[in-house]
This record gives sequence, structure tokens and C-alpha cells, in this order.
Amino acid sequence: MPAKTTKTAKSHSRTSHAGPGLYLHVPFCRAKCRYCAFSSQVFTMEAAAIYQRAVIAEIKLRRATHPDLRPATLYIGGGTPSMLPAWAMEPIVRELAKSFAFAPGMEFTVEANPDSLDLQTAGNLIRLGANRLSLGIQSLSDETLELLGRPHTAKQAVLAYAAARQAGFSNVSVDMIFGLPGQRLRLWLDSLRRVIRMRPEHLSCYGLTLEPATPLAAMADSGEIALPGEDEQAKMFLNGGELLEDSGYLQYEISSFCRMGYQSRHNLNYWEGGDYLGLGPSAVSTMSGARWENPGVLAAYAKAAQTGALGRESAPLSRQDAAREKLMLGLRMTRGLSIKDYNAATGADLLRRNAAVIQALRQHELIRIRNGHLRLSRAGMLVSNTIIERLMPTFDN
Amino acid sequence: MALQSHIRNFSIIAHIDHGKSTLADRILELTGLVAERDRREQYLDRMDLERERGITIKAQSVRIPYKAADGRQYILNLIDTPGHVDFSYEVSRSLAACEGALLVVDATQGVEAQTLANVFLALDHDLEVIPVLNKIDLPSADPERVKTEIEEVIGLSAAQALAVSAKTGEHVAEVLEAIVTKLPPPEGDPDAPLAALIFDSWYDAYQGVVVLFRVMDGVVTPGLKVRMFATGAEYEVARLGVFSPDAMDSKQLGPGEVGFLTAGMKDLSEARVGDTITSAVHPVNEPLPGFKEIQPMVFCGLYPVDADEYETLKGALEKLQLNDAALTYEAETSQALGFGFRCGFLGLLHMEIIQERLEREFSANLIATAPSVIYKVTTLAGKTFDIDNPSKLPKAAEIASLSEPYARLEIHSPGEYVGNIFQLCEEKRGHQKDIRYLTSKRVIITYEVPFAEVVYDFFDKLKSMTRGYASLDYEVIDYRVSDLVKLDILINGDPVDALSVIVHRDKAYTQGRALALKLRGVIPRQLFEVVIQAAIGTKIIAKERVAPLRKNVTAKCYGGDITRKRKLLEKQKEGKRRMKRMGNVEIPQEAFLAALKAGD
Repeated sequence: MPAKTTKTAKSHSRTSHAGPGLYLHVPFCRAKCRYCAFSSQVFTMEAAAIYQRAVIAEIKLRRATHPDLRPATLYIGGGTPSMLPAWAMEPIVRELAKSFAFAPGMEFTVEANPDSLDLQTAGNLIRLGANRLSLGIQSLSDETLELLGRPHTAKQAVLAYAAARQAGFSNVSVDMIFGLPGQRLRLWLDSLRRVIRMRPEHLSCYGLTLEPATPLAAMADSGEIALPGEDEQAKMFLNGGELLEDSGYLQYEISSFCRMGYQSRHNLNYWEGGDYLGLGPSAVSTMSGARWENPGVLAAYAKAAQTGALGRESAPLSRQDAAREKLMLGLRMTRGLSIKDYNAATGADLLRRNAAVIQALRQHELIRIRNGHLRLSRAGMLVSNTIIERLMPTFDN
Repeated sequence: MALQSHIRNFSIIAHIDHGKSTLADRILELTGLVAERDRREQYLDRMDLERERGITIKAQSVRIPYKAADGRQYILNLIDTPGHVDFSYEVSRSLAACEGALLVVDATQGVEAQTLANVFLALDHDLEVIPVLNKIDLPSADPERVKTEIEEVIGLSAAQALAVSAKTGEHVAEVLEAIVTKLPPPEGDPDAPLAALIFDSWYDAYQGVVVLFRVMDGVVTPGLKVRMFATGAEYEVARLGVFSPDAMDSKQLGPGEVGFLTAGMKDLSEARVGDTITSAVHPVNEPLPGFKEIQPMVFCGLYPVDADEYETLKGALEKLQLNDAALTYEAETSQALGFGFRCGFLGLLHMEIIQERLEREFSANLIATAPSVIYKVTTLAGKTFDIDNPSKLPKAAEIASLSEPYARLEIHSPGEYVGNIFQLCEEKRGHQKDIRYLTSKRVIITYEVPFAEVVYDFFDKLKSMTRGYASLDYEVIDYRVSDLVKLDILINGDPVDALSVIVHRDKAYTQGRALALKLRGVIPRQLFEVVIQAAIGTKIIAKERVAPLRKNVTAKCYGGDITRKRKLLEKQKEGKRRMKRMGNVEIPQEAFLAALKAGD
């Protein structure tokens, strides 16, 4: 039994990640948000039952393929996990705990939406062992929430937050979106201040992304809504980051802020390139250098889970892809990319190979190099895709 | 050898989309030459590019046996002609091989400008022109109006014009009868010394150069020793035949006949379009009239985006040149673009076609610099030489004089656009030479204009100013001294040699400003500010800046997003491969073309 663990650890020698992470995807939503490109499932009792049986089948499958998995974190995301009734949620969590050795003090996060989180639901989650709640507030303007197609009001959000606290969650994260239609810098900073006053341990601030083929993108195309200009959005990112920092929130990733010690260990594991096992429809797993993705449609997922076909199309991540991901993910974190690790992964000298552009990036204060790490400044993060693409190796064959 | 009186040689003149290819297809089917099952659209257009653009680039011929209503067997030779002003010389040679032409006009549209040049060319060659009104199956067809137009605009009697639908085949049989009854048979003496007109040639990997020709006098046979009049080179005819539509061998071809021959020629320059093939033993004293050396008129640099693709590009140019005597190329180096080629073309369309073929048939990833004409430089030291690349121009202080080629333009247009045409020609530094009214509504304007002004965007502008009704024919006539300067572009302070252009001093300021502005529009925002300057010598005349990119960031990237986000970045990087990096600035291919249209 330990032999396999040792081998895995060796072939993926890493310095600091928490891994491996366990992820469970809950595909149900009350309503489809207008900006969301994710395939989600309308909730019915039947669908929840199918889902529950399939997930339990998948857990049993993984218990057989990965008997030694000791998850450092568990993250139940979605979709809207808080919508899943206790009768469906409980057996799944118990099956997980039975199958994999949950480490003491394991970070156990559940995502919740204000419309489906009351004191009772929050209490149930605590009883199941959850110790971190991620609440999708997104905006504190009812008008905007309606525009986004969110099935809740700002007041509901505040109440849900209070319920989480009352139920005993001492680690709560709040998701917010900036760059919303009609939003100005001042409005964004105002809503951030209101959220800060709620004193969450963690904040995720996402710039609104218009995903192709979403209703919101169509509304923007037709001119029905107008997003703030690029400069305005950039200011929201920069000034928002400053405001949070002044209020004691540390930015540790492009969209992630936390009070000292409250980083999402589960998410850090992704960015550090750790292993993760994803369960549920559309969940992606990366284990020992191999990656697979579950079918996104519930019926197809359930069938594959029952027949044991899940993960059969697992493919090894090439050395090139792994190196590109290391760069892409490493630069998301304020800690930055370990140049030594990266050079070892690519077999090339990052700084020498890109000397001219790195010098220019430093001059323009878009990157910093310190303690052997290449990191993006806040302004650099704003154009991180361009920087990453520029530094990305081409691997001539 | 076919009975001379039973031969009819004709071509089809038509505007793009007026149905030339469809009519040709129907004729081939109706005469049984192409069976229904082998049918494909635009049978005669060989290249994909020809089909897509709806223009014929190379000439073609097809021999069509036809049994006429009089019960006799005829040979109809359809000689297809290229359809653009860049190829007007080739068109004139194809027409010289015919006795008649079908003028196909879309009965829903009427006579359009681009056909006119060719119609007039045909009439100049004393061709019998039969008007054919096409698309009469469409409800909007108005044959009577179009007939009136043909009479007024071209001065051609349309009383006996045929009304057909090439699409449905309606009345196409009458077209065949008209070819037999209205077009004259070829003249020519079988006993005279051989004189055959070359109207096209191409390179075949197995047979060497294949020559398309029309016999004027005499007889050609396999094994005959022939001489090319222009070069004096002699060959023995290896293979003689006709296309009908596939190649068929012939024992001999006499006056009026159209066919092909091979003679072990390795290079297209040995069989030049317009040259006369004669007998080496009994040569003619005079060549057939109208031969011209093909000279490239327009030059541009072609560079691989990726330096590793230099050899591939070279190989592709070699292959294209095998079949295109008008294309020239030689290696050159640019500070900005690295190793590439300076290529010569007949005109702008020819240049575009070659670029498109390189990209399409050879998957070449190209950067093309702005087209240039050939300038003649005289230095203070007394040396005179030609330059076809603006960056090769010596410093202003060393130049005694600079001359540029002038072209004589003949513009046919409806009278109402005369004002617009004058305005355009004056803008382009032209001198008016003549204006003649053909009819009360139709005018021919002659201008002499610097050729450089013609190659840039003259044709496009002429078309838009006359709603497509004007047609243009041009000929380069001489060189004249002009007050020309080199306009340089600097990006973040560094001159980009590939963006230099030579312009008239009076226009340098406007053009410099326009070019800088245009570049600002095509250079995308990047990580750092980009400063674009236009300069004459050391004097900066225009400055634009591209502000740095503000925001390009992925908000969420968790376990399920990683593959997709990586692929997006890879795609973004792949897209940048079509850009040239200079220092820290990435310049898209379009920037180099912007220099071409800066005057807009």
C-alpha cells in the first residue's frame, strides 16, 4: 500500500502544495444565471436521486482505483450545492468519509447561494463536517442581481450570511463580481465596503466575463446592456485590491483575498499543480499526471458511473502541457512562480530565454522577481493572459 | 487537318457573374463534349482560386466538334481569356487568336464597366462580336433595355442579339448556330511558311513547357523543327495536339487551328505569350504583330513570418514561377523582417493572386510589404541605377534626381462620372491628355499618371467613384523626373525598413499622417506603449501612440477550467504567430499592407 503513494509523490515532487484535493460537483441550480456558460441541471427529486446513486457509485469506483487517497481538502461546488436536500447530501458525504481517510482539520468547503441557505441547511452542513462556506453574493444591488438572473435579493444574501455565522461557520468566503453592467468604480468600492463590514474570512472578486452563447453576452451584443469600459474595469480591479488590502485582506491570487491564514487550501492546490480528484458530472480530475473529465450531462454521467466507465478516457498530461500549466497557474498567485521549479519542468532557462521581455516587464512594473520567484504586480495581473502567453514556451519539435 | 472553312475561333467576353463560365459549361454539354455525369461547375477554370474569385487567370482553349443545322461538321475553338486589367496583354493575345467573340451580358444588370475594355479590345482586333443576353429566365431580366445599352454604350448593333439562359440551357443551341453562321472562318495559307501565335504556355512536370497556339499560316507537325521568333531558339516538336477537352494528339494542325505542342522546353521564358512559332527551315520574315516582353511592373517584399520557413517559401516561389513567366523573385534581406524575397508582378491583382496561392497551396505564412514600382536614381556622383525597394534609396543628400514611371490610362466611362474621374486623376498627380465622346453618354478619358499612383489603389477608387461603370486600361509609357522623397516609419524609435515608401514631396505630409494613423488602427494594444512616427529624413512629420493593453485576465481558473484556459492561451499564442515581433512590439501582417492603402 505505501509503495504506490511513494511512487506518486516521487514522480510529482512538489514543494509546498496541500493536495490532494477532493472535489464534488453538484449540478443543480434554481435558475440559470445569465452570465453562466456552465451546463446545469433543473432540480427535481428524481434527478437528485439519480445523482446521489451515481456519485456513490463513483466514490466506490475511486475507492478501488485510489485506495490510499488521503484528501487534504474537500470542496463541494456547483451548481448550487446548498440546493441539494439533506437526504441526498448526507449519504454522499458519509460515503466519502467512509472511503477516504479524512485528515483531521481537513478543509471542507461547501458552496451556497443565498436563496437556498437558511439556518437549518447551514446547520446540516456543519453537522456533516463542513467548516468553510463559500457564499455567492455577487452583487448587493437588487437591480443588478435581477439583471444577472440571480434568484435572490441583496437582503437575502445578508440574511444567508448571518445564518451561516449563526449555524457556526467560522470561515466564510463571499463571491463578488465587478465590471457589471452599469457599475461604476464608486459603486463597486461601495459594495466592497459593505461586504468588508460583514467581515468574511475570505473574498473572491471576479471580473465579469462575458462567456460566448450566454444570454448576457447576447444582451451586450445587442446593446441592451453596456459593460463599463476597460479602463473602468481595470480601476475596479486595482482600487478594489487596494481597498481590500487596506482593510486587512491579503490578495494571494488574481481573484482571491483573505484575512491572514484563511487562504483556500483547496484552490491553492490547483494553482500549485497538486493532484485532485473530481467527482460528479463534468468534474475534472488530475491524478499522477493523468487527467480526465466526467460527462457533463447527468444521464450520461450516471450511466458511466454505474458501468464503471468513468475515467476510462484518462489521458496523460504531456510534459509540454504540464509546463505551460505550471506557468499559467503559478503566475496567478501573488507568491509567484518558482523559477527553479519551472526551469526544471521545461529544461530551459526562463529568464535567459525571455531576457528582453522580462526586462521590459520589470521596467514597466508588471512583474517582480524576488526570492527565486517570478510574480506579477497587480497591474501585471490585469494583463496576465498576455504576459503568460508571451512567456509560454513553444517547444519546437 | 480540319477544313479551314469549317473552323470557328471565338472567345467569350463577360463581366464577372454574368455567366461566362456557365455558358461555356452548357456549350460543352450541348455539343456532347462533356457528359452530364462529368459535369462540374466552371469546367474551364482549373484553379480553385479561379473558381472562387470568378476570374480566369490563365487562358484556356477547348476544341468543340459541332454538327450544325446545315448538316456539316464544324470545329469550334473556344479560347477563354483572363479577365483583369493586369492581364490585358494576355487578353489581347487570346483575342488575336480569334475571329469572333460572344459578348455575354446579364440581362438583369446590363453592360458593366469591366467588360468594356475587352469588348473594345476585341473590336480593335476586328473581331465579329455577337451580343448574348443571359439570365432571361430571371423575372427581373430586361433584354430590351440591355439591347439599347449595348447599342449606345458600345456602338454595336444588338438587333440580332441572342437572349438565352445559360443556367437552364434555354436558347443556348442558337448561340452555337450563330457562331457558325455569323463568325467568319479563319483566313491563312497552308502553303505559306509557318506562323503560329502563342497565346498561353505553362509548365508541366512531365512534358516541360506546354504551349497553346493558333496557327495563322502554314502547317505544324510533330517532329517539325520550329523556331521561336523572339528568342531565336529552335526545338523539335515532340507532341502536338488539341484539348477537346482532354489532350488528344494530332498529326498536323493547319491555318485557323488551335492546339498545343511540347518541344522539350524547360522554361516558360522560352515560349513567351505573343511570340511567333515559325519553321526553322522556312521561317517567316516578320513575326506576327503585337508581341511584347512581359515585364514585372509592381514589386513587393514577401517574407515568411517564421524565419524557419524561408526555404519553404523559396520552393513555393520556384514552383509558381514554373507556370507564371510574369512572376520574378530574388532574395533580399530586411532589418525588420529578416530573410525574404523581392518579387515582381504584372500588377496588383497578380500580386494578390500570387500571395493568395502561396498561402493557400503552399500554406505559407507571409508578410507582404507595400508594393513599389521601379524608380530610376541618378546620384550626384553621376551613377544611374534602378531600385524596386524604397529602403534601397540612397540618402537624399546623395541623390541628383529621381524618376518614376508614368502610365497612360484609358478610362471608358458613362459621361456622368467625368467629374469624379478628373478629380481622381488630378489627385493622383495625373495630366489630362484627351477626352473623347463615343456616344452622347459614353466617354473615353486619357490621362498620364505616375504608375505608382495607379498601382496603389487607383482601380478600387475608380470603381467606387463610378459605381463600377468605368473600365481602365493602362500602359507604362516612360520615366519622368519627379520630386520624390522616402517616407520612413519608426516604431518605438526604430525605423522599420519594410514600411518605407517613396512618395511625392507634396503628398508626404498627408501620407505620413495617414500611414501613422492607419498603423495605430492595425497594431493591437500590447503590454507596452507603442509609439509610431512617420519621418522624412530626420524630420518627424507625424506621431501616433497605441496605449498599452489595460486588461486581459482570466477571472476564474480552478480544477475544471485548467485545460480550457490553457488551450485558450495556446490559441492566443498561435494567433500571434502571424505577427512579426520587433523589439517588444508585435506587428500584425496587416500593418505592412496598411502602407499600401494609407491614402484612404
